[in-house]
Amino acid sequence: MLLLTGRSVQGQEPEAAPGLAALEQRLARTPPVSTEFVEYRFSHLLKRPLRSSGTLEYRADGVMVRNVVTPTRETTEVDGEQVRITRAGKATRTMSLQRAPQLRVLLGSFRALLEGKLTPLQRDFELTLSEQPTHWTLTLVPRDRALAKHLARIVVHGMDDKPSCLEALERDGDGALTLFTAAPGGPQPARAELEQACRAPAARGAAAK
Amino acid sequence: MNRRGWVLLAAWCGLLALGLFWVQTHLSVSADLRLFMPSPRSEEQRLLIQNIGESPASRLLLLAIDGPGPDELAALSKRYAAALGARDEFAFVANGEQAPPVMPDKLLAYRYLITDSFDAAPLDEPGLVAALEERAADMASPAAGFLEEWLPRDPTLELLHLAQRWQPRAEPHQVDGVWFAADGKRALLLVQTRAAAFDPDGQTRALGILQELFAQARGAVPAALTISGTGYFSAVIRNRTQYEATWFGSLDTIGLVTLLWLAYRRFVFTVLGALPLLTAGLAGLTAVSLAFDGVHGITIAFGFTLIGVAQDYPIHLFSHLRRDETTLTTARKVWPPLATGVASTCIAYLAFLMSGVTGLAQLACLTITGLLAAGLTTRFLLPRIAPLPGSDPARSAWLARLNQRIEGLPRPYVLVVAIPLAALAVFAWRPEGFWENNLSKLTPVPPELLKRDAELRREMATPDLRYLLVASGATQDAVLAGLESLDQPLDAAVREGAIGSFEHAAQYLPSAALQEKRRAALPEAAALRTMLATATAQSPFAADVFAPFLADVERARGLPPLTRADLRDTPLDLRLGSELFTRDGHWYGLVSLYDVHDPQAVAKLARAGTVTFLDLKAASEQLVAAQRAHILVCLEIAAALLVLVIVVTLRRWSRVLRVLAPMILTTLVILAILRASGVSLSLFHLISLVLAAGLGLDYALFFEHAAADPAEQQRTLHALLVCSATTLLVFALFSLSTVPILQAIGVTVSLGVLSNFLLALLLTRERAKA
Repeated sequence: MLLLTGRSVQGQEPEAAPGLAALEQRLARTPPVSTEFVEYRFSHLLKRPLRSSGTLEYRADGVMVRNVVTPTRETTEVDGEQVRITRAGKATRTMSLQRAPQLRVLLGSFRALLEGKLTPLQRDFELTLSEQPTHWTLTLVPRDRALAKHLARIVVHGMDDKPSCLEALERDGDGALTLFTAAPGGPQPARAELEQACRAPAARGAAAK
Repeated sequence: MNRRGWVLLAAWCGLLALGLFWVQTHLSVSADLRLFMPSPRSEEQRLLIQNIGESPASRLLLLAIDGPGPDELAALSKRYAAALGARDEFAFVANGEQAPPVMPDKLLAYRYLITDSFDAAPLDEPGLVAALEERAADMASPAAGFLEEWLPRDPTLELLHLAQRWQPRAEPHQVDGVWFAADGKRALLLVQTRAAAFDPDGQTRALGILQELFAQARGAVPAALTISGTGYFSAVIRNRTQYEATWFGSLDTIGLVTLLWLAYRRFVFTVLGALPLLTAGLAGLTAVSLAFDGVHGITIAFGFTLIGVAQDYPIHLFSHLRRDETTLTTARKVWPPLATGVASTCIAYLAFLMSGVTGLAQLACLTITGLLAAGLTTRFLLPRIAPLPGSDPARSAWLARLNQRIEGLPRPYVLVVAIPLAALAVFAWRPEGFWENNLSKLTPVPPELLKRDAELRREMATPDLRYLLVASGATQDAVLAGLESLDQPLDAAVREGAIGSFEHAAQYLPSAALQEKRRAALPEAAALRTMLATATAQSPFAADVFAPFLADVERARGLPPLTRADLRDTPLDLRLGSELFTRDGHWYGLVSLYDVHDPQAVAKLARAGTVTFLDLKAASEQLVAAQRAHILVCLEIAAALLVLVIVVTLRRWSRVLRVLAPMILTTLVILAILRASGVSLSLFHLISLVLAAGLGLDYALFFEHAAADPAEQQRTLHALLVCSATTLLVFALFSLSTVPILQAIGVTVSLGVLSNFLLALLLTRERAKA
């Protein structure tokens, strides 16, 4: 499985726990933390990948807010075990993560990345870090069997002290790709191109400059 | 003792042994607490009693684990629940980890007959377009990955809608996925035993397993388990009653043997004195196991107390024995007051035979049979065995001195007026709460256990225990339709804040008529395909993705309405069992209410429809009050009969009044003391008052019988001192009991013995002839 994490393909052995601790130190943020994102959802149910964009926030009061602006406005607040979902023109729905343990693990991983706290992630995932001079790749394989049946792994790509892209790969070939940048204009690239961009943050970073 | 005496004694003992053997093989002891509750008369009351005893809810045991930290407690709760879940003794185990009830897989297509989503407007194109827009937004959410699997089959998310509707309204607080009390310091679990609540053997077994598995799951964690619930109560009461009865019994036996030895100084009298009591006990038990199916443990413990009066009978005989007359002659002389006493006490207990409370009827049967047996053996058997006494109380120097002292006491006839006036003053001073109407206080469950139970039920967010709506009908379907008609007004009540939420069987199993109506409203396959194609084209979803949805709707259109049989062995059936049941050919559906803020509004809602609003507290209070009124009438009849017996026996009014006065005044004294200390009177106080009155009557009859003869007076004084001392010993011990009923009886009768003895001494005893 490790072979699929891009960097390792080139024969580099992933670093062990000390590297993880160092990365955690670099990533550490004090809330509030906020980042823009563009997410592409790949699904066999859809005509073409579904693009959504907005901001992801981790507020000082411990609430994580996922604000989707396009294609439709939606705000999801994760406050402990409570999730509040507000859609334009609709009443706020509240659900408890107690009844959705897999979603809790998934949302927990987002929050941990935003905050830069990698250690708590080890409870729910097996972490593998692969470091390159210019960038790093963190692979999360779910420990929970029910979640693992559905989600193969999450791969986080980043440079220095910042995650730049997150890939969620599902067992059936579907998945999602989240770039932590502002929404680009223009036509939607193909999945392969997006994946390329996600896995080569250095190139993308350079191009952006 | 001559040879004939020995033969008789051997025969008597042989009979007792046979009786003991028969009772041991035939007596079935029951722990059904309802035996001591009034028997229901109205429909409402029947539901009430059934709800207390037989519903699946009554088989629930509430468990709480107190211990170190939340993390350790949560882990312990999970280990414990897993271990319990593997045992057959429990129908289910819940600690918050379990998923709420969902549609069983094989019945998934039925969702379109059960859901209320399309009641207002049928499934149509605008509805589908809106649903697909929502699903597209879902696809952009983190939950998308989990929904993907279901979307093709269920684009309107009906399963989610049903699951939300079926979720327990207010689940307990959770830590790490398991239930906790609001303060986060105790983990909570719920188990349902397979054993009925009033099967104490089954419950004791289940409790043993609960403790054993807890000890295993706990390991080294310093945690403690608390258990509550009806089944727990019945096991605890039985064990506690057994324990206390054994203890009190042993203490009483030691006390009685000592007292009897002190009184007669010959061991043979101690042994012989026990025979009528043993006979009474065995005869009573035999009669009650012949007349009733199961005898309540309380009846036995309590009945033996009442039969304890029989201990007085041989004492009356022994104290009057003289060296200068045969024992048979003495027995004949003692017989008139003894027989009058036995007869009148039995008449008083007849009132309880007619009380309509099974436990009380058993008690009366046991007591009457026992007292008759003891009285008759004391008169006809005992004198043929008993030897002549070593000493005659009439020659005792200290008794002579005591009798003279008593002679010197004033005769306070003013008490005949003063006591009733004082009692009336007390009743006027504390008029409120004269009678105990709270049904829960009439069960022998200690109040601290009830309090703990109420706390746990609050933490578990179980439905309101006091208010219920009940729909009834000739068929299950009629009841379901009745429940459905309640949905609108109940929804309105929720909106207006009268209640928090509600739950009933028709939410899981709609009536056949409603299911058929929903089925008829489902679009035909071709029409639905066209509508869906249009909606899909406008959405980001690929064409033909929703084929499984089309198939499910088409299947639903051909389904016969869902029945209860279809739900057998599913979690939904478990819920239905407690909410929809049949009794005596009639069907009932319960509406559980949560957070009732305005009971009046709910009651009004019931008046408008075909349902009954059940206020369990009010219904039980009416039940108790009606039952008590009935018992009071029975007691009045018994009192009249008793006076008649006394009048016929004594023939002169002055004698009748002297005999009745102590008993009547003592009853007033006890009532006044209990009321002054704020005690509300229950049925058990009434029983005790009758017992005390019976004792008072005995004392007065014997004092009266002794008339003015100093020698007879001394023998009577001796007999009554021994009698009252033994009785006081027994009931003083009972007043220390932790079983509320036994304690109430102990206090009441102890007061009665003291007051009766003193009043009989002062008012009934004649002044000796100089």
